[in-house]
Amino acid sequence: MASLISIDHVTKIYRRGAEEIRVLQDLVLDVPEGEYVALMGPSGSGKTTLLNLLAGIDTPTRGRVMVAGTDIGRLSQSDLARWRAENVGFIFQLYNLIPVLTAFENVELPLLLTRLSRKERKEHVHTALGIVGLGDRMDHYPRQLSGGQEQRVAIARAIVTDPKLLVADEPTGDLDARSGEDVLTLLNRLNKEFGKTIVMVTHDPKAAAHAHRLVHLEKGVLVDAPEEAGHTRSAP
Amino acid sequence: MKFMRLVWKNVFRKKTRTFLTMGSIVLVLVLIVILTSLLHALEYDQNAGGNRIVVQHATGLANFMPLGYRQRIEQIPGVVAVAPEIWFGGIWKDDKPENFFGQLSTDPEAWPKIFDDYAMPADQLATWQGERDSFIAGRELVNRYHWKLGDRIQIRGTYISIPLDLVLRGIYASKNETNIFFHNKYLENSFMGRNGQTGIYYLKARSPQEVQPVTEAINKMFENSSAPTKAMSEQQFQLQFVEMLGNVKLIIRLISLAVLFVIVLIVANTMAMSARERVTEIAVLRALGFLRRQVLGIVLMEAVVLALLGGIVGVLVSLPMVRGIVEGLKHSPAATFTYNFKVTGATLLMAFVSSVTIGVLSGIVPAIRSSRVKIVDGLRQVV
Repeated sequence: MASLISIDHVTKIYRRGAEEIRVLQDLVLDVPEGEYVALMGPSGSGKTTLLNLLAGIDTPTRGRVMVAGTDIGRLSQSDLARWRAENVGFIFQLYNLIPVLTAFENVELPLLLTRLSRKERKEHVHTALGIVGLGDRMDHYPRQLSGGQEQRVAIARAIVTDPKLLVADEPTGDLDARSGEDVLTLLNRLNKEFGKTIVMVTHDPKAAAHAHRLVHLEKGVLVDAPEEAGHTRSAP
Repeated sequence: MKFMRLVWKNVFRKKTRTFLTMGSIVLVLVLIVILTSLLHALEYDQNAGGNRIVVQHATGLANFMPLGYRQRIEQIPGVVAVAPEIWFGGIWKDDKPENFFGQLSTDPEAWPKIFDDYAMPADQLATWQGERDSFIAGRELVNRYHWKLGDRIQIRGTYISIPLDLVLRGIYASKNETNIFFHNKYLENSFMGRNGQTGIYYLKARSPQEVQPVTEAINKMFENSSAPTKAMSEQQFQLQFVEMLGNVKLIIRLISLAVLFVIVLIVANTMAMSARERVTEIAVLRALGFLRRQVLGIVLMEAVVLALLGGIVGVLVSLPMVRGIVEGLKHSPAATFTYNFKVTGATLLMAFVSSVTIGVLSGIVPAIRSSRVKIVDGLRQVV
């Protein structure tokens, strides 16, 4: 299957004064379209930085990040924003819903950047909230929802523009076991039924078990995972 | 416009803070509307009240001019009628402000020609002109003191040390109804050695365009005499009483600017707090694909909406307040200015512009800062 994501010898260095912090080192990774990848590793290993790079909210110091055929490192800030709006859905650990907006309005947010009419936006939002099973909570504000429900609204917001790629950073990290399982089941469904490519950062092995492939990072370098290790490699 | 719902909801995110900030904007707008209306009253077009001219001694109202000037002024082309007048400045009943009104001696024959925009029944005018101890009063004064035609009033002199004992023979209607007029003859032979003199000349020019040349001609005519004159439009004459307090207009403008500056700082502080609290949310918006300029527009619009809401409420509150002030001033020595003390369309436009300016100036820095939030920094929970 063709690669949706191609990370080609990517290095990411943060500078703090004169000090250089090498977060990712010469990383190479391909993620085929439709794959569900779990990124694991200890704190500070560079998981979230890698997620940010392939989601287009950060840029590599060296190397190239290709997503859906676009070298996103070459895009201007504005083009990158438009690219994100079309191609990436974000799922955060703390949901990051806008508290003053209802579930409907939160899910509608990404659609405000499109040329869709109000009626079309409404249809899309209804569909997305229906998929996550919250069609009856549209007028609820985040404070009126449980943590699991909030995360499902966030997932609806992530899929409402029908992006190819979903990036999730610890999506179950703030949820109880049952709600976490519901969210993971939902992500599975989005992967299997709707063909979404998912890259998920997690510390939880049970959550990682839902993925097709585990990618382990340690000190900014990919290390072979037990499952399907042939998909991952770290450059020498 | 698609983002207006987000803007609106963000404005009311912290209701207490929003209403307190709006309250301060309301207060400022009330103040600005009132001050602007006052400025408007002070800057009232000098020709709008007709083509009346007032002549006083060049050194001030304390000095009088010879009555002989009258005939010479009447000869100036463009002059319709001239009446010598004296500000009596007496005390009716007591010296409480509510019992104060203007008392002017005049020539009853010339008066209707000069004050031709004042309305009074012809029979009342004729009666007044025929009775030396009679007076006429503005309708507002008559209503305030419940006077009736035929009523007598006694006024104690102050700097003119004779009492007036006058009978009301006429009631006039005009924009300014806070004065009484009585016969010059009443003061003859009783005026502390100032016989043959008058405090001011009130005159009427043929047209507003002739006000300027007539005033210049009068001043030139008497510039080398023992009593040089200062001729001016009626409005300028009235304005000088206010300006005795200093450059009132400049003070009003400076106060307006100062309160505008203060409110900009207050609203800017509110907007900065609001934006700082939402760094993560703004980063989320940017991650979702919102452009920097869209984030800038949203935050700036929040400040403008807040300021406009305050402005609208401020104007609504100020309208009855201005009416109340006018009513209050009608019973004071400043009554002359009340007839043009009103909220005009230009004042409302100025209030709108002030509100938008407050919004833009207070919102621009937080908006720029918000638009420059680095997504990875804003999403600290994620990074």
